[in-house]
Amino acid sequence: MSLLRTLIPFDIYNGLKLTGRYFGRNFFSANRKKVKANLKHITVEYPEVPIHLAPRFRGRLQMLRDEQGEIKCICCLACERICPTQVITIEKDKKEGRKLPFPKVYTFEMERCIFCEFCVEACGYDSIILNHQFELAAYDREDFSHGTEGAFQNMFKPTPIGTFSVAGDDDANAPHY
Amino acid sequence: MFKNEEMEINLGPQHPSTHGVLRVKLRLDGETIKHCYPVIGYLHRGVEKICENKTFFQGQVWTDRMDYVAAVSNNLGWAEAVEKLMGISVPRRARYVRTLLTELNRISSHLLWLGTHAMDIGAMTVFLYAFREREEILDIFEAFCGARLTTTAFRIGGLRDDIPPGFEAKVRAFQDRFLACVDEYEELLTENRIWKKRTVGVAPISAEDCIAMGVTGPVLRAAGVAYDIRKAFPYAAYSEMQFDVPTRMEADTYARYQVRLEEMKQSHRIVQQCMDGLPEGAVMAKLPKILKSEVNEVYHAIEAPKGELGYYLVGEKGGVNPYRFHVRGPSFVNLQALPMMTEGKLLADVIAAIGTLDVVLGEVDR
Amino acid sequence: MMQMTPIPMTIVQTLVMALIQIIAILAFIFVLVPMLTFAERKVIGYVQVRLGATRIAGGNRGLTGAVNKLMWWMGHFPVISFFRGLPIFMADGLKLVTKEDIMPAKADKFVFWLAPILCMVPAFAVFAAVTFYPGVLGVFPAWFPIVGGLPVTGYMTDINVGLLYILGLASVGVYGIVLGAWASNSKYPLLGGLRSAAQVISYEVPLTLSLLAPVILTGSLNFRTMSVDLATKMTPWAIIPLFIGFFAYLTCGFAETNRVPFDLAEAESELVSGFHTEYTGMKFGWFFLSEYTNMIVVSALATAFFLGGHYLLPFGLQQFVPASAGWIAQPHLIFFIGKIGFLLFVFLWVRATLPRYRYDQLMSVGWKYFIPLTLVNLFIAGLVRFMA
Repeated sequence: MSLLRTLIPFDIYNGLKLTGRYFGRNFFSANRKKVKANLKHITVEYPEVPIHLAPRFRGRLQMLRDEQGEIKCICCLACERICPTQVITIEKDKKEGRKLPFPKVYTFEMERCIFCEFCVEACGYDSIILNHQFELAAYDREDFSHGTEGAFQNMFKPTPIGTFSVAGDDDANAPHY
Repeated sequence: MFKNEEMEINLGPQHPSTHGVLRVKLRLDGETIKHCYPVIGYLHRGVEKICENKTFFQGQVWTDRMDYVAAVSNNLGWAEAVEKLMGISVPRRARYVRTLLTELNRISSHLLWLGTHAMDIGAMTVFLYAFREREEILDIFEAFCGARLTTTAFRIGGLRDDIPPGFEAKVRAFQDRFLACVDEYEELLTENRIWKKRTVGVAPISAEDCIAMGVTGPVLRAAGVAYDIRKAFPYAAYSEMQFDVPTRMEADTYARYQVRLEEMKQSHRIVQQCMDGLPEGAVMAKLPKILKSEVNEVYHAIEAPKGELGYYLVGEKGGVNPYRFHVRGPSFVNLQALPMMTEGKLLADVIAAIGTLDVVLGEVDR
Repeated sequence: MMQMTPIPMTIVQTLVMALIQIIAILAFIFVLVPMLTFAERKVIGYVQVRLGATRIAGGNRGLTGAVNKLMWWMGHFPVISFFRGLPIFMADGLKLVTKEDIMPAKADKFVFWLAPILCMVPAFAVFAAVTFYPGVLGVFPAWFPIVGGLPVTGYMTDINVGLLYILGLASVGVYGIVLGAWASNSKYPLLGGLRSAAQVISYEVPLTLSLLAPVILTGSLNFRTMSVDLATKMTPWAIIPLFIGFFAYLTCGFAETNRVPFDLAEAESELVSGFHTEYTGMKFGWFFLSEYTNMIVVSALATAFFLGGHYLLPFGLQQFVPASAGWIAQPHLIFFIGKIGFLLFVFLWVRATLPRYRYDQLMSVGWKYFIPLTLVNLFIAGLVRFMA
């Protein structure tokens, strides 16, 4: 009996059956089908198919303005103190028509940021968030160190993204930012 | 006329299957290993020293980066060690959520081990099947704490936030699928004659040697010692969980494979219990504004996916950062057993042995 | 049976005809091998629940953009979507040709050059004796210079020891691997070369033994006669030796071509890349090409001797198809190529599924299981032949 089992490779047949089943299932289904629990394939065709990020996703640091367009930050330096990698540097300033201090310089050196969200947690005024951006590549090191006046990655704006999608209008959903 | 020379060969630090930057100096006679000497330190960052200069709150982000495959387990160890040092008691709901995430992390770590180990032995497809499920777990982490790999999942005293809406459905969807997926891996590997030939009796290490070398985790349990810190010294919510500690007597690579697969199923069971019995209540303990330690020292060990992960912390009076910090990393200690397991075996067995030890070089080098 | 009446040809006509056939076969190989690399990406990708190659570099503008857009559109349809990323086979070839050629400083320069050639030439030369179609494929139109009006056969030469020639040439290929490994003057390639030598030598024996069963059954060594006879003139009992022989042959064929689960010579996770670790650019490309050509050869032999060759049904079952059944009863080139294609798919399928043997286990499997098995098979074949 054991000799028969050695000679007839049922085990290898079982493995081939499983992989063959996956091949067939993939081969006879269109790539663009909605991916459900019984996965046809796990490839996300980024950038044509947008990636669904969780609401709590920790992306790039962004400063917020209130309804009047004023910077919310009041320079309490809590974020600067809590930051484990010291990527935030703030310089206080006064501004006419504003009682609270105003950040003249808010430098955020993204090359060292570890996206831990401690700064947002420490902020008592909800003036900063980690937005949902993850396409943060840049060609120059200077581009990563951006403050309120940064040229490439401004603290208030989303990072410009190159357009690489070849999908038609019917396919492309709006990116989830 | 011909000299019988031994050949010295460097396996790594750049090699497809040394799982990072491990370098193994091998002296070969033909393909037989005469001497094996692991060289480490290529990824040394001085995590322990850095943490001594950071506050207790900040220190957690460095634990993420030690065993980056099991970041949640590392976070748990850090948080609990600091809580032990300060004498903070954590709400029950937070402990349950911690247990849940840590067990999911154990599954994901074992899945990564399974994939890479099978790939080292040549079975490519298991890798992708394992990563398919790991991806779902990482999605769950992302939903909970916003990051997939370096999670920084917990806070000292509990959790930063309660579980998000939709979290439970996500976990349950994963739970429903997972056992069938384990069956798929088993179908590809467990009975496969080549897999069995490559693993049965390969890289054995006896229970006595394991204990002498300080080897813990699945490697020790595959040698027949049912030592699991979750049972022996329960932490988080493990004292309220029903689960078994799988053991095997064979102490070889195949036994470790079986033990880890069984552990995944047990983790699945624990996650199910956490989901079903999740208590209501707060997730954060009342903490002072600034965490300050007393003169105290603690050693807190948890059962990380790779074995005993211990944090040794010394506090000074009124200190906001640890006076002394040391990590007893399971990967580092387990790696010691590599020469013992491979000497006299063949070159291909070294690859299997590195795979079966499940080392993560981020933790070995720290 | 289509016995060809020899048409007298001048030497020039013979040479030109041979040249045309060589070009046709080379075109066949040079199309099939890149397609095979593409298929390897896609088949293994689909098995591993991912998509494999779906686009080419170059963004969304210009020609590449248009191609990318087309391939994105193809993704809407089942089956067609498998062929997304097809242009990548051209990119693969182009990359190999244009890549910088690096040679280790202490390498043995001459042998380092010689090895890929030694590997590739026998792999190509084998096709001289392979019968793609046992008869006349077509006739050149009369206006064609020199060979106008002459018939084109489905085989290049019809030598009566064709099988011997193929087996002889196939065993030369290992010299390329061993010499290349030695000439690299590096440790990993050396180990890979040694493994490969041991492996190929020990699997040559069961491979040949498993091919001897068809030889006994037909009493011939001529490729064309054997493939036709094995499909149509066997006793029903011959299916047993052919069936066992097929699986033994296929396994040994995997070992001969250094494919998973016997890819010890290049065992990526152990020896980095094995014998061709130090090879770059087109020199690596020749190794690569020869490996895939060898796969085609192994598949062609398995098709011809076990799977019914140019006929529809495998294992000698074709004889039960009545001659009146129309095109099913006739040999076709498409059957031959289709079966080769299926076997090549099996190569990829197995690669995606199975782990790799260890060096010593591989040898023991070869000597302890396959040689006895093929010997038993040979005995059964002799018995069947004796009874007939």
